[in-house]
Amino acid sequence: MTSLLKIEGLEFSWGSNQVLKDINLDVGGNEFVAILGVNGAGKSTFLKCINRILAPAKGTVEISGRNIADMSLMDLSKATSYVPQSVRTSFSMSVFDVVMLGRRPHISWRISDDDHERVSETIRFLGLEDFAFRKFDRLSGGERQRVVIAKAVAQDPMLFLLDEPTSDLDLRNQVSIMKKIRHIVSDVESGKSAIVAIHDINMAARFADRVVLLDGGSIKADGTPSEVLTEANIADVFGVSCDVIPEEYGLSSSLQVLVKDEIEK
Amino acid sequence: MDSISKKYIEDSRTQVTIIASVCAATLLSAVIAMGLGSSSTLDSISTIKIMFGLESGSDLQSAIIWELRFPRVLMAVIGGAALATAGALMQGCLGNPLVSPLTLGVASGAALGAAFAIVLGISIIPSLAIVANAFLFSLVVVGIIIQLGNMRSVSAESYILVGIAITFISGAIVSTFTYFATDAQLSQLTHWSFGSLSRPSLSNVVWISAAIICLMPSAMKWAWDLNTLSLGGDDFAISSGVDPSSTRRNILVLSALMTSIVIAFTGLIGFVGLAAPHMSRLVIGNDYRKLIPCSAVFGSFLMLFADTVGRTIFAPVIIPVGIMLAIIGGPFFMYLLLQNRGVS
Repeated sequence: MTSLLKIEGLEFSWGSNQVLKDINLDVGGNEFVAILGVNGAGKSTFLKCINRILAPAKGTVEISGRNIADMSLMDLSKATSYVPQSVRTSFSMSVFDVVMLGRRPHISWRISDDDHERVSETIRFLGLEDFAFRKFDRLSGGERQRVVIAKAVAQDPMLFLLDEPTSDLDLRNQVSIMKKIRHIVSDVESGKSAIVAIHDINMAARFADRVVLLDGGSIKADGTPSEVLTEANIADVFGVSCDVIPEEYGLSSSLQVLVKDEIEK
Repeated sequence: MDSISKKYIEDSRTQVTIIASVCAATLLSAVIAMGLGSSSTLDSISTIKIMFGLESGSDLQSAIIWELRFPRVLMAVIGGAALATAGALMQGCLGNPLVSPLTLGVASGAALGAAFAIVLGISIIPSLAIVANAFLFSLVVVGIIIQLGNMRSVSAESYILVGIAITFISGAIVSTFTYFATDAQLSQLTHWSFGSLSRPSLSNVVWISAAIICLMPSAMKWAWDLNTLSLGGDDFAISSGVDPSSTRRNILVLSALMTSIVIAFTGLIGFVGLAAPHMSRLVIGNDYRKLIPCSAVFGSFLMLFADTVGRTIFAPVIIPVGIMLAIIGGPFFMYLLLQNRGVS
């Protein structure tokens, strides 16, 4: 069976600083993959290499069996959608217009009734109805983040690439957004997957099927949350001591990580 | 249909109605402008009657209408539309509200070409000395834009900085020419830099109109890509399927060509390319599918209004449109921006 995403020997450098080293990863359909790592570990760079925002120095990235280097950007944007950490706006548009930009890869010029409906559905799905016609630059950081996620959802790709999608959100919206991503990924019929760069270990443990731990540009561990989120791995990568409470002992349905203190080097 | 979609479609229809209204107002203004002038042999009503074949005018009256006023009014409509569209395109693809068609150095190149013709008497086509030189030199700037666009990872800021550098270099050479120019040459060069609609002949205006009308659909073709570029920058554009580098280069070349075609014949007219897109943004928002036509009709209206005031207010003395645009449009533009401060 063909992987949805297959990465082989991916490397990327900023000048002499090698950010990604020999990354190999296979992602199938209906997988929620959390990418964890310290600041500068290469999480954002990794996502940008999958989306051709950055050109890797070495290695190949295939989506549904097609090398992304051979795909047009329009075809690639039908297969993947990317949510950046923040969006810099020069000229603002209404929330509806921003979400409609997600339909760009599917529109030649004229907007169809189906496009209108999909955008409306997405706006309702993400709970943006109250400010659907407000200007994007008049929104709070969290509201903007939800709008950009809505744009990615409206794009209707097979693979979501989300770079810290909950960094500006309050607790309720963090949980809500992660549940919605989980909901999309869990739809067996559509076979969509998501790769989410995130700092919140507990959120990753709760929602992800799989956790990839990046350390110094390489994959240190790759597996289920309980396989990867061990006290030793967390101490090694993040430099903090912690207690990992397995799901069968905790109050939550997933394992929990209780961070205690930083480890003196 | 969903209530959110319905509201969006209703809003879009309102915006299209606004554009159609400004378009109708511009056409009406053009007819009125045809009837205004300093000639004692022709009043407004007679002009309109002669124009629509309701009255047969004398040869002199026909000449005034079709050889003097018609090219001027048509040039105002077409030139205003072209410069405003070029301004809207440039602002969007460079993601910068301060940009105008003159930012990339196209106008400075044209001024340098004009200076070569006026001061040194050097021209490729002697019969069209100033126009040919101005156009040719502005094309050199377009060539620089293409070369820059072919380089890897060229940013929006790089285009603006190169444009500023070209403006400085051209300005320095033109200043050197003016230093050695005779009084007559100096006067001609200064007058060229004012920007006037009286220079192009009827045949010139027909050719300019044909060229601009051919280029306009290309501008509309980029509307979706401009929306992604102007909203969220390069990463946002790539993730929406738009290649920012080639898109930016192509749009800048198109804008520079439109600007070159107009200013080679009229001289420097800058303000309309900055103000008309912003006025349109205040009225219609930043969706380029509507902003491009709206900027074009606003540009036509502004240019037409400024030129008509310029040629009637102190008639028979005609104030060049470049000056009138800044005098009339400047305060109006500031008023609009202050009334809507914070709106981007």
